[in-house]
Amino acid sequence: MEPVNDIAQLVVNGLMSGAILAVPAIAFSLIFAVLQVSNFSVAAHIALGAYAAYVVNTVLGLPIVAAVAIAFVAAGVVGVASDHLALKPLRRHGPITVAIASMALNLVLENMLRFGFGNTVQALNIPVYRDWVLGGLHIAPQQFYNFLIAAAVMVALFCLLAFTSIGKAMRAVADNPVLADIKGIDPEFISRLAVFIGMGLAGIGGVLIALDAAIEPTVGFRVILPIFAAAVLGGLGNVAGAVAGALLVGVAEELSLLVLPVAYRSAIGFFAIIIALLFFPRGILGKR
Amino acid sequence: MSFLRVEDVVAGYGAHDEILKQVGISVEPGEIVSILGPNGAGKSTLLKTIAGLVAPRSGTVEFIGGSIAGLRPREVSRRGVVFVPQENNIFPSLTIEENLEIGGHLAKAEYREHLAKVYDRMPDLAARRRLPGGALSGGQRQLLAMAMALMVGPRLMLLDEPTAGLSPTAADDLFGMVSAIRHDGVAIAMVEQNALRSLMVSDRAYILVDGRNARSGAARELAQDADIRRIFLGEA
Ligand SMILES: Nc1ncnc2c1ncn2[C@@H]1O[C@H](COP(=O)(O)OP(=O)(O)O)[C@@H](O)[C@H]1O
Ligand SMILES: [Mg+2]
Repeated sequence: MEPVNDIAQLVVNGLMSGAILAVPAIAFSLIFAVLQVSNFSVAAHIALGAYAAYVVNTVLGLPIVAAVAIAFVAAGVVGVASDHLALKPLRRHGPITVAIASMALNLVLENMLRFGFGNTVQALNIPVYRDWVLGGLHIAPQQFYNFLIAAAVMVALFCLLAFTSIGKAMRAVADNPVLADIKGIDPEFISRLAVFIGMGLAGIGGVLIALDAAIEPTVGFRVILPIFAAAVLGGLGNVAGAVAGALLVGVAEELSLLVLPVAYRSAIGFFAIIIALLFFPRGILGKR
Repeated sequence: MSFLRVEDVVAGYGAHDEILKQVGISVEPGEIVSILGPNGAGKSTLLKTIAGLVAPRSGTVEFIGGSIAGLRPREVSRRGVVFVPQENNIFPSLTIEENLEIGGHLAKAEYREHLAKVYDRMPDLAARRRLPGGALSGGQRQLLAMAMALMVGPRLMLLDEPTAGLSPTAADDLFGMVSAIRHDGVAIAMVEQNALRSLMVSDRAYILVDGRNARSGAARELAQDADIRRIFLGEA
């Protein structure tokens, strides 16, 4: 393959994997926007979504669409329950305490998955298609479907936030919870809803990752760094920014293969966080 | 029975739990009442206590005969008592129309009607309705904050220093708006630094000093009072 095509191929691959990262990245950012805390247990909820897909698809034999829906609800419900039990009581101690507690919560949830499903690596029951070749570029149909699911999920979230009364209430609480309360919105209810939707999206992210890779308890933990990097690049709390950040991180990770051994791929996440903090402290889209 | 009756209220924040040491005010239907006093007297704390943002430690807060002491802010608003804070009183990342929609969250059935009325009264907001609230100037921001409160069809508005930081002309516009809103039958209790101009549009006024009532009376009389002119208006 000639180099130009090589780069184009890496960019395409990066956009595909970036779109999958974007789903949990917007989850992270949505929760940050409404609750003003970084909830790193997004990682365990990704794994939970992946296992939910495994049960629905491989064990029960239902189609992937059902797996997506059930992963959303399961991860959303566990997200609300674990937030209520483990994180909410700590909220008055400040965002750093909650962020650290969310890492502990993440370990607990991952180990519960390990207890339930064991350490054996699982996989979804999906057909393997031959790559499509378009103008010299290879695209795996499964990756493309994942890209479409990710895009559909993001469009749905944007429509919710932009056009529905509950979505506007969510943005109002993100802007100013005290004023939202005066206007008749219950910030606690909206926070729970944001956690439900956010962790539900993390669950869907888990299904997308499971369609592309093996399922094990740390499947989310292995991608939490690029997810966090995407959210920081986009400006924490900026949902549209998180999408841009995820696409950028996805492409950068792929392009890094040109100059770095594959083992250093995860350094891209660190690098992106440093770049963001140094040059775009409010995110690459500039404002929220 | 008073419309709004606040009596012997003691309130504060956490360790500083006696900012209001003993305060009482009342507001009658359709009145404009000014709440004046030096910085730190507890004027904002008084409005926040009525609005449900600060829970009183003791005392009475009643609206149309029912206690509203200790209610959540949204429950106070639901009764028709709407607080407009001095700062952070709009949603900067929402458009102006979205701000108004959130403002009318408690009166969804009358949304169209209230929106038309607000746009009629404040055509500047109508012209900018697709802009984010954060793009507005100080004066327009204050108008938007009042417009959001009007979206619920309030019975009593609590305004905290609505003219703070505004140019003299913007402040004039705002006082004009306050008079026009009262004309529609909405009662207004407002905290103001701009004492003389506030007294000019008010029916009555209270003066708070150090968490207690210092003076009260008809606005016209207080505006003539030599003591008051000396303390608040810097006259010799
Ligand atoms: N959130 C708060 N926590 C602690 N003290 C506060 C808080 N808000 C105001 N205060 C204190 O309460 C006193 C009265 O404040 P405030 O009601 O804002 O006065 P005013 O509006 O008359 O200037 C001040 O001494 C102020 O420092
Ligand atoms: Mg004040």
